[in-house]
Amino acid sequence: MKKYVWTTVLGCGLVIAGCSSEDAGESGAGEPVETSDSKTLTIANGTDIVTFDIHDHNTTSTEAVHVNMFNYLLTNEGEEGFQSDLAESWENVDDRTWAFELREGVKFHNGEDLTAEDVKFTLERVANDDTLLEHGNYNQISEVNVIDDYSFEIVTENPEPALLNRLSRLGSSILPKDYIEEEGWEVFLEEPVGTGPYKLQEWRKDDRLVLEANEDYFGDEPKWEEVVFRSIPEDSTRVSELLTGGVDVAVNIPPTDVERIESTEGVTAVQSPTQRVMMMVLRTDEDSVTGDPKVREAIDLAIDKQAMVDSLLEGAGTVTRTRITPGNTGANEDLYGESLYDPERAKELLAEAGYADGVELTMSAPNGRYLKDRESAELMAAMLSEVGITINLEFLEWSAFAQRYQERSFEDIFYIGYGNSMFDASLGLERLTTKSAEGETDYDNEKVNELLLEAEQNMNAEERIEQFQEAQEIIAEDRPQIYTFQLDAITGINDRVEFEPRLNEMFYADSITLK
Amino acid sequence: MKYFLKSLLKTIPVLFLITLIVFLLVRVTGDPVSLMLPETATAEERDSLRESLGFNEPLPVQYFTYLGNLVQGDFGDSFRYNTDALSLIMERLPATLELAIASMVIAVIISVPLGILSAVKRNSFFDLFITGGAVLGKAMPNFWLGIMLILLLSVTFQVFPVSGRGTLWHLVLPALTLGTGIAAEMTRLIRSSMLEILGQDFIRTARSKGLGEAIIVNKHAFRNALIPVVTIMALQTSTLIGGTLITETVFAWPGLGQLLVQSVNLRDMAVVQAATFIIAIFVILSNLSADLIYRFLDPRIKYD
Repeated sequence: MKKYVWTTVLGCGLVIAGCSSEDAGESGAGEPVETSDSKTLTIANGTDIVTFDIHDHNTTSTEAVHVNMFNYLLTNEGEEGFQSDLAESWENVDDRTWAFELREGVKFHNGEDLTAEDVKFTLERVANDDTLLEHGNYNQISEVNVIDDYSFEIVTENPEPALLNRLSRLGSSILPKDYIEEEGWEVFLEEPVGTGPYKLQEWRKDDRLVLEANEDYFGDEPKWEEVVFRSIPEDSTRVSELLTGGVDVAVNIPPTDVERIESTEGVTAVQSPTQRVMMMVLRTDEDSVTGDPKVREAIDLAIDKQAMVDSLLEGAGTVTRTRITPGNTGANEDLYGESLYDPERAKELLAEAGYADGVELTMSAPNGRYLKDRESAELMAAMLSEVGITINLEFLEWSAFAQRYQERSFEDIFYIGYGNSMFDASLGLERLTTKSAEGETDYDNEKVNELLLEAEQNMNAEERIEQFQEAQEIIAEDRPQIYTFQLDAITGINDRVEFEPRLNEMFYADSITLK
Repeated sequence: MKYFLKSLLKTIPVLFLITLIVFLLVRVTGDPVSLMLPETATAEERDSLRESLGFNEPLPVQYFTYLGNLVQGDFGDSFRYNTDALSLIMERLPATLELAIASMVIAVIISVPLGILSAVKRNSFFDLFITGGAVLGKAMPNFWLGIMLILLLSVTFQVFPVSGRGTLWHLVLPALTLGTGIAAEMTRLIRSSMLEILGQDFIRTARSKGLGEAIIVNKHAFRNALIPVVTIMALQTSTLIGGTLITETVFAWPGLGQLLVQSVNLRDMAVVQAATFIIAIFVILSNLSADLIYRFLDPRIKYD
């Protein structure tokens, strides 16, 4: 029996030996993290950032971290319009030229001054290098002319009314030219340097990214000493971290966990709209069953979108008849917040279209890409069967779905969710121009096409908005896309901080404050 | 010695086959370009990205370029992180090894005493309890057990931190999650192997010459029962690695498993290929070392 004891002791010794290489200096033995008035802000994301190359990722969650380290020329505050950031003022000189004045006295984290040369370097890089993921959003820029250290002009290939939208989003943070040219990109990617309120302290991939306050920031003094972005892929783990005080803010809370959070003292779940609108995309060419507008209308009327929001999303969404939702330039708010549902009329329409005995259609949907995508497709199929439309559902893993999407080889209908990082209707509606719709919806409405193409280059802001709004009305009647709902984001927040999630899903650490 | 050299040589075609299978699988199951660009990207944007990543070459050309580089130790670049795949893996490896070793230690601590005890006290209530527990342990999926442990020991009782890597306390729950399944498997094996040995003649002889039961069990029976246990431990390497994929994701443990899961989701080919290659080498080496330990434990076993 003595040997037993020894085996156990030896075993325990092994455990300790096996783990002794670890850093045991951090906060200790199982106590919940003490965060009451700590000047460290911890945010739990679902994924880690991808890179510090601001031009070579198109990930909102990465950008949400970058905005604390870098600055844009200006920021897009939705209804409040564009606000000054690194640029003090700007002016549209002519159809293709914009003049900017830079803020003086801005320093990069390495002490260098920000000048117009840095702007030229940054924007021309992404405009010219077609291997960068953001190139497509900046290739409209033909050149940046430096006038003096603090003034420059941006010249576009064609009239570009959405230029300010482009300059206030992912990919337009200004980079330090001298630092990158002297040290090389590899050094920059390891030790990134920006102008933002926080600078990089440490990045442990797939674990955490730690930022520290930049004492020399040109704006208001940073509110936190340290900002930690943790990467926690599993939803329930993220929720548990929130419930134990391990993190102050947790993103992407599943609707099913909201009640659990609300019933726990000290934490709340906040719902906020996102840019993502879920929709069915239908073929409109004459050879398809859905080519008949009556069939498309019947499909729209057969689906109770509000019931989908209530039952599947537990309220975390808003029904809509347009994909250009409030907060975007060109949004048609008359179509927002409403949806049509009339199954009886749907049956009549089907009968009028010659399908009184029912009809069979195929719908493809991704599985696991969007919140409740599979369940949504199943529910819609069930609702459609009530009016006599039998749906053959085809579920695809996202990468397989993406491939079919790109080949434009879906059959009658596919279900997808589109975001809009430009906050402008042009990006949202571009796919419904005759040229872009070819092979996908084959939507070809002369009036819509004309409105969209004109708006694309119309420098008269008001007229442009009207063109977009009119196009949306026609699209809502024509239904090449049937919108189900705009998805909400649910964010879990520790009561010690105050935070209002933004439509663009960015985490400006300084907009999160201690209560 | 000759045997081991031969075994090592035999692994070369296995490794080649693995590179081919993984190479093909990551390519036929999805297109990374569509995953990297937003839904709204144009066909031209996709084409130019595909061109710059070298996907326009025919598959055999791509494969042989990959093999050529591989022989020189170049695993290619991750297009998610824009750095070379091998350094990404090497960065994550310590975390995974730490978790794997801790899980194995936990598995041994649980399974050795329980396996011996339940064999010695065969058919008792205690035995029934252990065997029942082992079946349960084997049946519990890792992700479920992980989430339950978090809910119980982190959220309700707040004994251990929920997730992440840092202190020794962070290691406990993931190691327990991963170790439990292996412990269950090993307990059952140790029990049956002990039972077999305990029924053999030399044990009866030992008993008849009046040796104490503790010496018989620990010295005579257990050492002999160890041989199959070593095999199962080596075979568990692959279970262990499979388990880290899930456990690391549940506990946000920044190891190879999490890297691999994310790379597969994004079809980050270079990383998937490099990670599976390294894992394959690990599995092969652990099987070989089991052979070696065999010989050490039982000098009667000879290979030629």
